[in-house]
Amino acid sequence: MRLYPPRFRRDVGLALVDALEDRMRARRAAGASSFGVRMPAIVDTIRNAAAEWPESAGSRQSPDERAKGRTVVDKLLQDVRYALRLWRRRPGFALVAILTLALGIGANTAMFTIVHAVLLRPLPYDRAERLASVWGRTAAYPRGLISYREYRELRTQSGTFDAIGLYFGQSVNLTGVDEPQRLVGSFVTGSFFDTLGLTAERGRLFTEEDSAPGTVKPVVVITHQTWQRRFNGDDDAIGRTMTLNGTPVTIIGVMAPPFDPRVVPDAGYFISADLFLPVALFPAPGGLDAAGPVMLAIARLAPGISIGRATADLDVIRRRLLADDPQPQADRTLVAESAQETVSGASRPALLLLFAAVGVVLLIACVNVSQLLLARAVDREREIALRAALGASRGTVARQLTVEAALLAFASAAAGLLVGRGALAGLAFLRPPSNVPIPADLPLNAAVLVFSGGVAVVVATLCALVPALKTARPDLARVLQAGFRRGSAGGRRARDVFMVVEMALSVALVAVSALLIESLLAVQRAPLGFDPSNVFTLQFRLPPTKYPTPDDIARFFRAAIERVRAVPGVESAALVRAVPLSGNGGTIGYAIEGRPAVDPASLPQARFHLVTPDYFRTMRIQLLRGRDFTDRDDLQAPLVAVINETFARREFPGEDPIGRRLTTPQTPTPITIVGIVADAKHYAPTEPAAAQLYAAHYQVPLIFSSLVARTRGPAIGVANDVRKAIWSVDRDQPVWSVSALEDIVARTQGQWRFLALLLGVFAGVALLLAGVGIYGVTAYSVAQRTHEIGIRLALGASGERVLREVVGRGARLTLAGAAIGGAAAVALARLASAMLVGVRPTDPAALAAAVLTLTAVSLAACYIPARRASRVDPVVALADE
Amino acid sequence: MRSIEFHILLALAPEERHGYAILQEIAALTGGEMQLEPGTLYRALHRMLKDGWVAESARRPAADLDDERRRYYRLTPAGRRVAAAEAARLQRLVAVARAYRLLSRA
Repeated sequence: MRLYPPRFRRDVGLALVDALEDRMRARRAAGASSFGVRMPAIVDTIRNAAAEWPESAGSRQSPDERAKGRTVVDKLLQDVRYALRLWRRRPGFALVAILTLALGIGANTAMFTIVHAVLLRPLPYDRAERLASVWGRTAAYPRGLISYREYRELRTQSGTFDAIGLYFGQSVNLTGVDEPQRLVGSFVTGSFFDTLGLTAERGRLFTEEDSAPGTVKPVVVITHQTWQRRFNGDDDAIGRTMTLNGTPVTIIGVMAPPFDPRVVPDAGYFISADLFLPVALFPAPGGLDAAGPVMLAIARLAPGISIGRATADLDVIRRRLLADDPQPQADRTLVAESAQETVSGASRPALLLLFAAVGVVLLIACVNVSQLLLARAVDREREIALRAALGASRGTVARQLTVEAALLAFASAAAGLLVGRGALAGLAFLRPPSNVPIPADLPLNAAVLVFSGGVAVVVATLCALVPALKTARPDLARVLQAGFRRGSAGGRRARDVFMVVEMALSVALVAVSALLIESLLAVQRAPLGFDPSNVFTLQFRLPPTKYPTPDDIARFFRAAIERVRAVPGVESAALVRAVPLSGNGGTIGYAIEGRPAVDPASLPQARFHLVTPDYFRTMRIQLLRGRDFTDRDDLQAPLVAVINETFARREFPGEDPIGRRLTTPQTPTPITIVGIVADAKHYAPTEPAAAQLYAAHYQVPLIFSSLVARTRGPAIGVANDVRKAIWSVDRDQPVWSVSALEDIVARTQGQWRFLALLLGVFAGVALLLAGVGIYGVTAYSVAQRTHEIGIRLALGASGERVLREVVGRGARLTLAGAAIGGAAAVALARLASAMLVGVRPTDPAALAAAVLTLTAVSLAACYIPARRASRVDPVVALADE
Repeated sequence: MRSIEFHILLALAPEERHGYAILQEIAALTGGEMQLEPGTLYRALHRMLKDGWVAESARRPAADLDDERRRYYRLTPAGRRVAAAEAARLQRLVAVARAYRLLSRA
């Protein structure tokens, strides 16, 4: 009612409401649905209210105008009704057009929702644009850790940071409860909370003093989720004690969740943990100060400071630190990086590639629908010319066409939103790879709606512009002539362009998806060097308070392996510090005895693995020479090592490495090489071969380790028995990352599988649309030329010749499309280059495959209508007059 | 005069009515052919009130049947004259149509 002008409301408003209600009541009584009751009332109100305004605004209207009694809204409604009537008359056309566009808009809506959530929306921390990660960069590790010493220096010396905090996530053992459990802890400085602007919801957060070495207190801050899950949100949780890593700590507070973690990439990344412990409780041998770079750092830039300024400032501080460093690392620098980049930077290329791909799909959809509209507009040329001749102004005709296109876009956008929501739900099933941090929950928001609306407007413009321009100015005399043959040269040219554009776009998309499929195959084919089938793995970390000496740890190791071997279904079992492809691992510098000494800062590096006897047999890593570790390689025996082939080739070309000795900064006595094994991948299935050094785990027992067990049946089947076997050694020892090695391997292929699958789907849709589009164009132009073809056949041309001509025309256009598409493919592939493995962006095989596929589709799409043309019966065609 | 205005005048000619009753009467007069929506009716009524063709009636029905928002409208003498003039004009036109054999004599 407020839609009406005030004066009108005052005069008759109440009475109108009453009448409206009477009408609605009557409709309801007649059995109309609630929509059927409300809709007419709404339409009535909108239309009359809009009309009442100008009239009440001072009756400037002449009585003549008023007498016409038709308002702008009335006219538009009439256009809408007319368009709907046309659709109803040809439901197939409307359905195909709306479905095609909905597919394109839906895919774009889904992709944009993800891109917006991951890349565009700022992290939901307080003034997140000023948050920056600080890394220790070396040539090998662009994102290396920070030492506590560096942190102290940065905290006091940096003028560019308002605050800086350390954090490092690590699993902690929770004991003293029914079943020992692993929680994800984050070891943080008190300043960490200030840096991110975090507050306590109950109790308090700990201070810098509470967390610093020397003044550390046994306290813990739990997250809201942990509070709810473990303590049912009880207020008396504050002050209670938890036994973490064997140490009793007091809960001093619950952190207020700054946002809903399900709608944020990586659940907020910096705070995705179950609880927060003082950094000085971090289990580092020799204490935090001596541990070297073991921490991550997050800083808040001072207002107006750029990342570049911060990095320059960091460099100054690093030089000062370098001056009094006992063991300087020559190429190490400190750099700042925006926090947003830290969280989602790695996923940018993949997301942008997918976004580009759905954009191409949408373009193809637009071309198809535009072509449909054009064909229909040409069909309607006569109708429109007739209307123009009867006095419809050019504006009226153009308005009608625009309303039709707008209606089409609106319907497609609505359907597209539904398609997009469905696509997002489907995407969750695909389990996107971990380096694309898609939030668990992607609510529909204003940005997405605006985007989809914008896309719909662009789509409507693209689809309707050409047909509207062409038909709003028909040549009346020509069109209305009796026997007028449609299909002007202009229409044909437009159709040719459509066909070429469609081909080119499809070639590009198919080529890129072929590149990604090749990459996936390359990743899957890459030899791992070990056999992941039927291997069971889990991880554990022993509490140092309970296992204070290497002897204690080694005793646990031996007992655990013995019990696990006894589990039915287990063939062999061993411990390894870091399971291949699990993401864990480390390197070590070494020097070979008997060679000239080198500067300790520039020692050659090798990957460093700690394994127990039987590891190579369990993993089926081939032993090439020498021997495996044995139970006798223990704490009392001299240190021994096994090296891999690449190590042997690099350091001992033409020599026998067995019996040679190495020294490392981390071992007290020299290590003797006793065996050589084949290379095995460790971080990625596609990494280049690297030197690897295996040492005996019994000789270097560390609190963190993993179990691998080869099983006779499916690996995961032994999970419960293996867990029980370990608990029979220590009933308080939690284990985690329980999985089959095959699943770990599959996860590393996740990114390529994800991209190859999605791009494959997009390319398939593009192919389908292009095929249908080309078929439609050809069929239409053949239908228009039926008369001409009939004459030629009557004059003696063979059907074969007509066939050749139609297909030949299609083939020429196809060639042009393929050529342009090849160039477009190279451009699109450059976007994909970061994700390509074992194949170059300009890979000729992928290009050729794409061109051939499209050519086949295109020729098939031309052939069917061409054959129909060649069988035109001249008598029928000419009788068409 | 617009067709809708003439219909409203006709609906009010025998007796005063409230808005919804006018809609029903018009539907009845035209054999269900003219189904007005309330907004359309009240815009026309609003104009006709301003032009002095119709007026709000002081009459109220029995209190327990009444809805306080309900307004009753009646023809003013001016409205009655306008309606008569329009009817006469239409009658002349119908006569012409008959003369041209556009209408069969009922």
